[in-house]
This record gives sequence, structure tokens and C-alpha cells, in this order.
Amino acid sequence: MATETYAVDVVGVVKRFGKQSALDGVSLRVRRGEVYGLLGPNGAGKTTLIRSLVGLVTPENGTVTVLGHRMPQLEVLAHVGYMTQQAALYPDLSAEENVHFFGAISGRVDGVREALEFVDLWDRRKSVVSTLSGGMRTRCSLACALVHKPDLLLLDEPTVGVDPQLRVQLWDGFRKMAAGGTSIVVSSHVMDEAERCDRLGLIRFGKLLAEGTVAEIKAKAGVERLEDAFLKLSEVSEP
Amino acid sequence: MSGRRVGAISKRLLQQFRRDHRTLGLLFGAPLVILALLGYLLRGGGDVPRMGVVNLDGGGLGNVVASALESSKTVSASPMKEADAEARLRTGDIAGYVLLPSDFSAKAQQSRLIAPEVHLEGSQPGLSQSILQAVSESFAALAGQAGGVRFAPRVTFLYGGLNFDTLDYFGAAFIGLVVFFLVFVITAVAFLRERGQGTLERLMASPLRRAEIVLGYMLGFTVLALVQSAEVLAFSLLVLHVHNVGNVALIFGLEALMAIAAVNLGIFLSMFARTEFQAVQFIPLVIVPQMLLAGIIFPVSTEPGPLQALSHVLPLTYAVEGLRNIMIKGADLSWSSLQLDFGVVLGFCVLVILAGATTLRRRIA
Repeated sequence: MATETYAVDVVGVVKRFGKQSALDGVSLRVRRGEVYGLLGPNGAGKTTLIRSLVGLVTPENGTVTVLGHRMPQLEVLAHVGYMTQQAALYPDLSAEENVHFFGAISGRVDGVREALEFVDLWDRRKSVVSTLSGGMRTRCSLACALVHKPDLLLLDEPTVGVDPQLRVQLWDGFRKMAAGGTSIVVSSHVMDEAERCDRLGLIRFGKLLAEGTVAEIKAKAGVERLEDAFLKLSEVSEP
Repeated sequence: MSGRRVGAISKRLLQQFRRDHRTLGLLFGAPLVILALLGYLLRGGGDVPRMGVVNLDGGGLGNVVASALESSKTVSASPMKEADAEARLRTGDIAGYVLLPSDFSAKAQQSRLIAPEVHLEGSQPGLSQSILQAVSESFAALAGQAGGVRFAPRVTFLYGGLNFDTLDYFGAAFIGLVVFFLVFVITAVAFLRERGQGTLERLMASPLRRAEIVLGYMLGFTVLALVQSAEVLAFSLLVLHVHNVGNVALIFGLEALMAIAAVNLGIFLSMFARTEFQAVQFIPLVIVPQMLLAGIIFPVSTEPGPLQALSHVLPLTYAVEGLRNIMIKGADLSWSSLQLDFGVVLGFCVLVILAGATTLRRRIA
């Protein structure tokens, strides 16, 4: 499975919810071992795009290929980790029990300790989730997404509510995973996080406005700061 | 205390309900439906219990009694041969019969004692009562003619007996009912929580198949449901001493099937609710009509005709009848009636399992 060049290959994906167009012909590719940042305001279509990568959204048009498999495909999901925006956990289970469960349904439970240590929750592993703080739940949810050592990790705003110190620590971890060959798609609207991605996709009104490395995007907009680049590129294509 | 603040809360509540059409419909529709159903059930001109009159009397008094019974409004009595009456009693076709022996007139005139034999099926106390009432009314007519006679019927029961009370009758049904309803509500709410807390989304983004989710739920809740079934059964038999002449393993088997059906009905119906609140609303919609129509309180045989047809479609009717067949009549699996009951409940189980798995796929994908 490690032979394909692209971990994610999205071609011309269209998805509408009623009259609202959520994805309007999006095409993008994520290379193996790359950290790809999806940048865009609320309601831009980031979450819909990520959900289409795991087959939760069926596009009306276009194709989604993940780790060499046309989606939807169930078996390939064993190699994909998905962290939802909301910390999706069982509140009556302990942190460890949650991580163990999500490992078990993906077929691997040998990484429970590693995952909990990655998010700095090993010491709190016996705590029932309902007693954890919001930031801790986010971290626990992240541990659930990577417990089965996926080849592709999809993170929908993973660092919301996480303090700056741990955020830096998590990003170091993401970079380390990427170096080990894991491809990561991460959505965010925090600019300093975007700076740590290998490549960025700017998404707004369901369209991919610009794509490239941070430097390429800044150059394209002709500005110094990524934030300005984002604002400038968005203006151009306001419908 | 601020009127404005209190008012803000009340206004917000009403605003919420204005958008929740389902709750509004339930609030104003369900009571009318349930009351209308109850009204039709009790006043809809339902059938009266059927009974037989076996008149072997050589004298004229037997005819007086027989015709009094046949014109009774409490029961629907028809003349029949003794062997015929006995056979129909055993199949449950009639709830009882009265036998007027050949020396009936003679004895009544000699010893001033009327002693008819009343044979009752006995498994449904309400029907037995109606028959005893009709019989004693018919003899009141006779006592007027003959004057000064004593009325002492000899009553025999095919099932149950004199000590058989209302709890024995309801108990058999409620053993299954309690388990069915509680398991249904708990499963439906648990499944909706899965949706609400976002974990269902995660399950769907995992290699799990829909059928695996449904089966996993079924097994997990079945463990709980079986423990509950055993507890309810033990309490009913050992503490309440509910009448039972049947095989305890059979009762438990039927209870277990009902529990499995309830788990899957819970999963299936939770697909049609967005919130736990809406799941609880299934109780008046799904459960109350079944309580009224499954023969738990009112025997199906005395319901108005159209409702009888409806009752015969409800799986709970068969479950309740099966439990009563086992506990009151001592039925085993060689009885065709119990085979039917088990078959229907089993078929319902399979149906809701399939429905649950199919709907889950549609709702998520």
C-alpha cells in the first residue's frame, strides 16, 4: 500500500446540501509523508471535504481515491485515522478504554500506550472522560484517531482548546509521524499552524482558491504574511 | 423574582416547541388517538364471550334455562353436544359451557336444588366471570317459575382454578412486557446517544460494517436483557407466586426472544428520532396502543372485529398469548398454538434485525 505516490487524490468533487453548494469542483492531491493544511473560514467546506475522504459524504460528481482505493471502500479505513471536530468519545468510559475501543474496531490495540503518551494523557488514562477538561478530551480524541498507526491521518481542527505549549508538542509529533511516512491532512484556521504544513490548500465557498507551499502562496498574493495572503486571495474570488 | 426573567423562560419553551412539529403533534394528537382507541375498544360493540349449552334434561326446566341463556346479552350461548363442547373448550373456541344433566328437572322439583355443571376454560378470569354471571341470571328466571329453589352450580376449571386471580392472569403477560418495553427504551436512547456524541460518525469512518454494529449492539444489550429477564421471572415466580404450570425454560426462551426483538426495534426506531427526547416519544406511539391491543388487559376475543384484526398483526399479541399458554395452560412446544406464538415472535426478531441493519446504512451513507 506504500507504493502509490499520493495518499489522497481528489478530482473534481461536487457536493450540494439542498441548494447550498458545499464542495464546488475541488481537486487536490496529498503526497505520501506530507502534512497538508486545509485553510479556510467556517463553512468553507473543510469538514465536508474531510468527510468525503472517509466515505461519509458521497460526492455527486468527481472521484476520491485514498491510499490507492476509490472511495467508498471499507477495508482501506483500517489504515485511515479520523479525528472529528467535536471530541467524539464515550463519556462513561475512561480515556484508556476509549482509545482501546477505537483501536479494536480498526484491528490494532498494540498502540494504546503510545497514543496516550503522544497526547500526554498516559497519567490520566484511568480517568473517566466525563471528568476530563475540554482540552484533555480533544487530546484523547486525537489518541483515538492514531491508536491504530494509520498511514493517513485526517484531523479536523485538532488543536482547538489545546494550550499553546501542548500545541507545539503535538505539532512536533505530527512532523515526526510525517517523517515516518504518515500522510496528514489537517484543517485549521490558525495561521501559525498553517506555517508548519508542507503544503496548503486555501478553501472558500467550496472552491480551492490556491494551493502550494507557504512561500508559494505568499508569493502568489504578493504579501509578506500568510494571513494577508489568505485575505487577499479570498477577496479575488468572492462570488 | 422577576416576571420578565420567568417570562423569558416560558417564551423560549414555546418557541422551541413551535419548531418541533413532531412533539406538538404528539402533545395534541396522541391523547386523542389513545382515548379514541380505548373508547372503541370498550364501547365499539365488541364480541361477548362464547359459551355452549349442553341440555340433556328430559324435563321442561332445562329448556327454560337453555333459552334464557341463549337470549342473554352477557354471553353468546349456543346449544351443542357434550363431546363437541368439551373439544371446543380445549381449543379455546368457547370460554365455557353449562351442562344440564338428564335428571335436572326431576332433581329441581324433588330436592328444590338446581345443580348444573359449569365447565370453564379458566385462563381468562374476565370471561369466566361473564359466564358465571349469565348462568346465574338464567337460573333467576327459573327460580321465579319453580319458586324456592336453591342454586348450587358445580364449577370446574380446565386451567387455573378458584384461586386463579387477576395477578396470575396479568403476571404472565407482564413478565414479557416489562422486559420488552424497558429494553426497547434503553436501546433506543443508547443508540441516539451514540449519534449525539459524535461517536457514530467515528464508527462509520472505521472499517466496521453496518451489520457488525447492529450485531454488536444486539449481543451487548442481549446480555443485559437476559439478566433482567431472569430477574423478573424469578421475582414473579418465587416472590409473587404467579401461577405457573409450564416449563420455566420455555418462559425464559420466549422472554429472551422478546428482549432480542426489543433491542432491534430500539435500534430501528432510533433511526427515526434525532434526539433522546424524540425517542422517548415512541412510548405513547408504539407502546401504549400495543398495551391496549395485545390482549394484555382486554382479551382479544372480545374486542370489536376490526380491532381484532389489528391485534392479530401485532407481534406482542402472540408473545403475550405464548406466555399465557405456557404458564396457565402448561403448553409445550408440541402444541401448535405455542409453535405459532414462538414462530411469530421469532419472525418479528428477524424482521427488526434486518430493518435495523438496512436503515442504518441508509441513514448514514
